[in-house]
Amino acid sequence: MTSALLGPAADFAGEASTGRPPRRRRRQGPRNTLTPGAGLGLGIAMIWFSLLVLIPLVAIIVTAGEGGWSGYFDVLASDQTWAAVQLTVTQSLLVTAVNVVVGTIIAWVLVRDRFWGKSVLNVIIDVPFALPTIVAGLVLLSLYGPQSPLGLEWANTERAVMLALAFVTLPFIVRTVQPVLEELDADVEEAAASLGATRATIVRRIILPSLAPAIAAGAALSFARAISEYGSLVLLSGNLPFRTEVVSVRVLSFIENGNTQSAAALASVMLAVALVVIVGLDIVQRRVANRG
Amino acid sequence: MSIDVHHVTKRFGDFVALDDVTVSLPTGQLTALLGPSGGGKSTLLRIIAGLDTADSGTISIEGTDATRLPAQKRNVGFVFQHYAVFKHMTVAKNVAFGLEIRRRPKAEVVARVDELLKLVHLSQFAHRLPSQLSGGQRQRMALARALAVEPSVLLLDEPFGALDAKVRKELREWLRRLHDEVNVTTVFVTHDQEEALEVADEIVVINEGRVEQVGTPDQLYDEPANDFVMSFLGDVTSLGGSSLRPHDIEISTSPVLAGGVEGEVSRLLRIGFEVRANVLTIDGEEVTVVLTRAHARAIGVEEGSTVWLTPAVGAAVVPRMKAVV
Repeated sequence: MTSALLGPAADFAGEASTGRPPRRRRRQGPRNTLTPGAGLGLGIAMIWFSLLVLIPLVAIIVTAGEGGWSGYFDVLASDQTWAAVQLTVTQSLLVTAVNVVVGTIIAWVLVRDRFWGKSVLNVIIDVPFALPTIVAGLVLLSLYGPQSPLGLEWANTERAVMLALAFVTLPFIVRTVQPVLEELDADVEEAAASLGATRATIVRRIILPSLAPAIAAGAALSFARAISEYGSLVLLSGNLPFRTEVVSVRVLSFIENGNTQSAAALASVMLAVALVVIVGLDIVQRRVANRG
Repeated sequence: MSIDVHHVTKRFGDFVALDDVTVSLPTGQLTALLGPSGGGKSTLLRIIAGLDTADSGTISIEGTDATRLPAQKRNVGFVFQHYAVFKHMTVAKNVAFGLEIRRRPKAEVVARVDELLKLVHLSQFAHRLPSQLSGGQRQRMALARALAVEPSVLLLDEPFGALDAKVRKELREWLRRLHDEVNVTTVFVTHDQEEALEVADEIVVINEGRVEQVGTPDQLYDEPANDFVMSFLGDVTSLGGSSLRPHDIEISTSPVLAGGVEGEVSRLLRIGFEVRANVLTIDGEEVTVVLTRAHARAIGVEEGSTVWLTPAVGAAVVPRMKAVV
C-alpha cells in the first residue's frame, strides 16, 4: 500500500530531522542549566521557602522529638487524640470526595452553560474562601444551630464538622478546574464525536483525563484546608471530646495546658497524613491522565 | 454521487451562512470547496459531517439520508485546521481511538495503526505525544486518525491553513498522492485558489452562502461563470466594459487590429521575466496588461507611449457586472 508513497517519504525526511530529537526518559546533558539571573531567583525562592516553611517544620519535629519515642506514642495512645485524628481525616476525605464531584460539576456549569445570573454565581463561589472563617462559623451557627430557621439542628454533631469543612473548601476545585475547562478545544470533542465516540465516552476518555491534574490539585488544596480548619467549625461543632473535637482544637488545648511537646507530636502526625494524601492524589491523577 | 446537498440553508442569527445550496460531490474524487473567508464553505463541510445542523434542506451520503444522523453515525472522517489532537494520548493511541471505541480486536487495532502510521510516515513517532511533533506531523497524524475508521468520505477543513508556506506545499502534494492511493471520496475547504487548482479534481466556488460555479480547475479558469469566479481564481483587469486576464490582452504601438482601444502607458513595471503596463485609455479606463520582457522590448513600449489594446484570441472574457476590488 505504501509503495507509491516512497517518494513523499524522502520529502518528509527533511521535516522530521528538523523536529525535536527523540525523547528520552531522562534528559541528557548538564543537570544545572541555571544562568546567573535564574540562580539568584532560585536563591531567593529557597531562602523564603526555608524561613517560612522548612525551618518551622523542622522546629516542630524537633520539639516533638524532645521527649523521645515514648512521648510520641503517649500522645497517640490517648483515645481522645486518636478520635480527633480519625474524625478530622475521615471528614476531610469525605468532603474532598464530595468536592471532586460537585466542584467539577459547578465548574462545568460555569464554563459550558449560559444562564441568567451566571456572572453573579461566578463571583459568589469565592465568598466562602474570602470570608473570615469565624464569620463563616457564625453564619453556619445561625442557620444550623439551635433555633435553626431551617429546622435543621446540626450543632454539636459530626454533620456540623462536615458542613463547615464543605463550606470553606467549596471554591478550590471549582477554581482549579474552571480555567482548564475553558482552554479545552471544542475541536477535540468534535473530532472524537466524528470518530464515533458517544457523549459519555468523550467525557470519560477525552475530557476527564485533561481535567485530572486540575482536579487533583484542587483536591489537594481542599484536603489540606480541611484538616487544618479551625475557625469555621469551633462554633457549630461544640468541640465535644470523642465526638466533634478536631485535631486543630486538640492541638490548641495541648498548648493552652502548656504541653507544647504533645501539640508538636500531634502536628507532625498531621503533617505525615497531609503528605501521604497529596502524594496519593498525584498518583491517582497520573493514572487518570494516562488512561486515554 | 457520493454526497448530495439539497437546498441547504443555515443562518446564524441574522447572518445567512448558506443560502439554499444544492451541490453534488462525486464519489472517489478530491473536491475543493473554494471561496473567501466567511463565505460559508466551512459551514457546509460541518453540516455534511453532522457537526452543525442545517436549518432546512437535506444531506445524503452514499445514497442514505444523513440529515438527521448524529456525527457519530455518519462514518465521516474529519480533519480540523488546528489538528484537534488528543493531547494526553500518544500518536498511536490517537490513531487507534476510533477503532478502540468500536471494540475491534486488539491485534487488528495494532496492525491497522501500524499500517496507517506507515502511510503517513510517522512510524518512528508512534510512542510520542502530539506536543512533541511539528505542525505538519500533527496534521498527518490527524489524517491517519480520521482514515483509521475507514470513513465513506473524508472531510478536511482548511487542513493546511495553520502551517507555514513550505510545509503547506509539501503536504498538499502529498495529500494528492495519498488520495490517489487510498481513493476515498475527499472534500477539503480552502481559501487558497492555488491550492485548489493544484490539488483538486473538481472545485466548488462558494461565496456569500451561494455556489458560484462547479467545475474542473481548467473549466473554472478558462470559462469562469461570472466576474467573481474569474477574479477569485487569478488577476483580473477590465477592457471595454469586460473583465479578462491581464495576460490575455494584445498590445501594439500602432492601430493594426480592428476594435483596438487607444490609450497611453502611464506606468511600466518590470517584475522578473514579466512586464506589467498600466494603460490609461481614452475612455478613462485604467487597464493592466502583462507581457513578457522580450515582447515588451520587441514592440518598444515605454512610459508615455501611445498603444492600442485588444483582447487576445481565445481569451476568457466575462461581462463586467460589479466593481472588482
